[in-house]
Amino acid sequence: MPRIACLWVPDLPLCAAVRAEPQLATAPLAVVQAGDLGGRAHVLAATPAAFGVERGQTLAEARAICPALVHRQASAERERAAAQGAVEAAAAVSPRFEEASRGLVYLDADGLGRLFGDDRGVARALVTAAERVGLRAAVGIAAGKSLARLAARAAAPDLSFEVTRHGLGGGAFRVVAPEEQATFLAGLPLLALDLSDELQQTLRRFGLNTVGDVSRLPPGPLAARLGPEGAVLWRLARGEDTAALAPRPSPARFEEGEELEWDVQSIEPLLFVWKALLDRLAQRLRARGLMARELLLQLRLANASWDERTLHLAAPTREVAPLLQLLRLNVEGSPPAAGVTAVRLGVTPVPEVLDQLPLFGARTASPTQLAAAVARLSALVGPDRVGQPVCPDRWAPFAAEVTRFAPPPAPVVPRPPPDGEVALAARALRPPRTAEVRCDAAGTPLLVIGEGALGGRVVASAGPWRTVAEWWTDAPVALDSYDLEVAGGLLLRASRELSSGAWWIEAVYD
Amino acid sequence: MTLPARRLVKDPRALDDLLRTGQVRRAPALDPHRPRPISTGVPTLDAALGGGLMRGQLHEIVAPPGSGGTALLRAALSAATTVGELCALVDPDDAFDPRPKGIDLTRLLWVRPHDPVQALRAAEIALEARFGLVAIDLGGSAPKPRLQRGVVQVVRFEKKAPSPGASPWARLARRAEKHDGALLVLTRSAQAGTFAATTIELERGPSLWDGPPGSPGRLLRGVRTDCAVTRHKRMPPSGPLPIHVPLEAQ
Repeated sequence: MPRIACLWVPDLPLCAAVRAEPQLATAPLAVVQAGDLGGRAHVLAATPAAFGVERGQTLAEARAICPALVHRQASAERERAAAQGAVEAAAAVSPRFEEASRGLVYLDADGLGRLFGDDRGVARALVTAAERVGLRAAVGIAAGKSLARLAARAAAPDLSFEVTRHGLGGGAFRVVAPEEQATFLAGLPLLALDLSDELQQTLRRFGLNTVGDVSRLPPGPLAARLGPEGAVLWRLARGEDTAALAPRPSPARFEEGEELEWDVQSIEPLLFVWKALLDRLAQRLRARGLMARELLLQLRLANASWDERTLHLAAPTREVAPLLQLLRLNVEGSPPAAGVTAVRLGVTPVPEVLDQLPLFGARTASPTQLAAAVARLSALVGPDRVGQPVCPDRWAPFAAEVTRFAPPPAPVVPRPPPDGEVALAARALRPPRTAEVRCDAAGTPLLVIGEGALGGRVVASAGPWRTVAEWWTDAPVALDSYDLEVAGGLLLRASRELSSGAWWIEAVYD
Repeated sequence: MTLPARRLVKDPRALDDLLRTGQVRRAPALDPHRPRPISTGVPTLDAALGGGLMRGQLHEIVAPPGSGGTALLRAALSAATTVGELCALVDPDDAFDPRPKGIDLTRLLWVRPHDPVQALRAAEIALEARFGLVAIDLGGSAPKPRLQRGVVQVVRFEKKAPSPGASPWARLARRAEKHDGALLVLTRSAQAGTFAATTIELERGPSLWDGPPGSPGRLLRGVRTDCAVTRHKRMPPSGPLPIHVPLEAQ
């Protein structure tokens, strides 16, 4: 018999609000849904501190009952992120899961015994995984999807209201073993099932109040009177759950979002929002042992358009500070065209870079530390100015580029240091400095007039060496190069372009 | 071996007793107090420094242009990357040339800040990430353009340029000590003052040329340089250490 688990987040709007603002968990908080066309706002859910406030009341009624009530509008972005958190919690326990609706996830609980023990262990792991992403979940495990959902509903009264540092806690679970399935269903009221109001009334008129009452009826007459819905109800009452699990792939991106109460025009409020979103994303990544490889920023603008930006990280990281700095630099560099009304942040996850501390010698930079440092340095100076130096595949005087910094592991047996001599190095001038060079009749440089101290009377020289390169491109290079020592001691590498006769100082020897 | 192991379980301080009495000896490679200096690539200079560039300290190379300061910095990077150390080069002048052999580029992180203030911050970040050797190249050989005679410079009251803060060298020296990395700074004039554990000064000698002037085969061979450790916190200053700095093949 298959074992299916159901992870259900009751009061998802409330969980999403507390998850976004954990400091409100102990306050008398109500999440309200604004009515259509400016109608009255209705309460969707409230914290226990808002005593007496119930779902369906108008905001005015709720305020009359609880004068200190704090209310928050239901936020689609927050609920979206919370629902994704529920999916991640399920994915952390089982690789086969299906998101039926927001805050309702089914997963295959078969074969998890070696990881979590029996069904109770699996259910406990699910509750913990949900709490780790700031959600209070009711978990049910039974022989099918519908039964598991009924079990999760049966666990809902056992939920408590606990505040954790990630959001809400206090989840509960109910496991329906195969042998107690009949007993569990027999005592279940029909109101616990998702039946239409019309069918509920019909069953009540028939004098049927529990699932057990339905299971004792013959199937044929029930289906004849109630139609296909009656047949499905009878099979469910007998514990015959035919709904199959349709596993979905794991989400390719972790997302968090926030809707803003007004159009934000400056960077500071956005930084405040991004910090909270990144904190939650980092927590979710940490819970799954992942890191961010790519950051996607989506800004909903006041003109109803979306501004999307992708930030490729120099190295995987989940440190909030460098990511925040990267976002700041990006938006400051190219501000959005209009005020921002909603923010959505997504990260493309990659497995965490694990580091092994060395057995011999001192601790060195771990891959994680390196990744974070490269990300911080990229944020400081720009991603194109940090990395491993490489020579480009083209010829240009002292050309250099950077590529991704991915050092190989340290050698197991340290190599001895080279005992070679110190070689004179060229300090490249990028871009090369223009100069005026006066030569004698034979073409030997005599005087260099360059920028600042890059000039003087030539006291010694060598050259020229001709270089002809890139002739196969549209920008061929043909120049004569000289080594010059000018009065004052500077050793220069200067070149004369053959086509124009212009002189350049490309490097200084030091 | 069984007896000490039993004692260790019962008495956590037994290891100290065993180490004191010599029954258990610490493997040299595991001794946390054993200094592990980083070679500068110049054996005579390493000897004058007491083994090389000590970790957890700030070292300063003060070298006039053309005296081989950059060459010495590269030699230290070459020696460190060859033995497997991860190194960072903070290069605000964008002057590093990756073509010459010697440095294991896969172990070198090249950072090109826009100004010296960013350079100091970048060095702090690199030290915090536990790079073995962090080198800052402040030997900007490209001076700012000189004002032409007769040009009046207009001074505007604009936003102040970012400041490195109070005593950046003290901060960097503390970072190096905390994270056990060697910090090597190349400057044209002494900057770090007493926060530098060692100061290596270079003095330019004559340049060496091959071949008669004007002849086609004339080549720059290198320069002669006198090097000296003029300041060391635990050792006396060294005498002049002559170094021949040849021009490597381009």
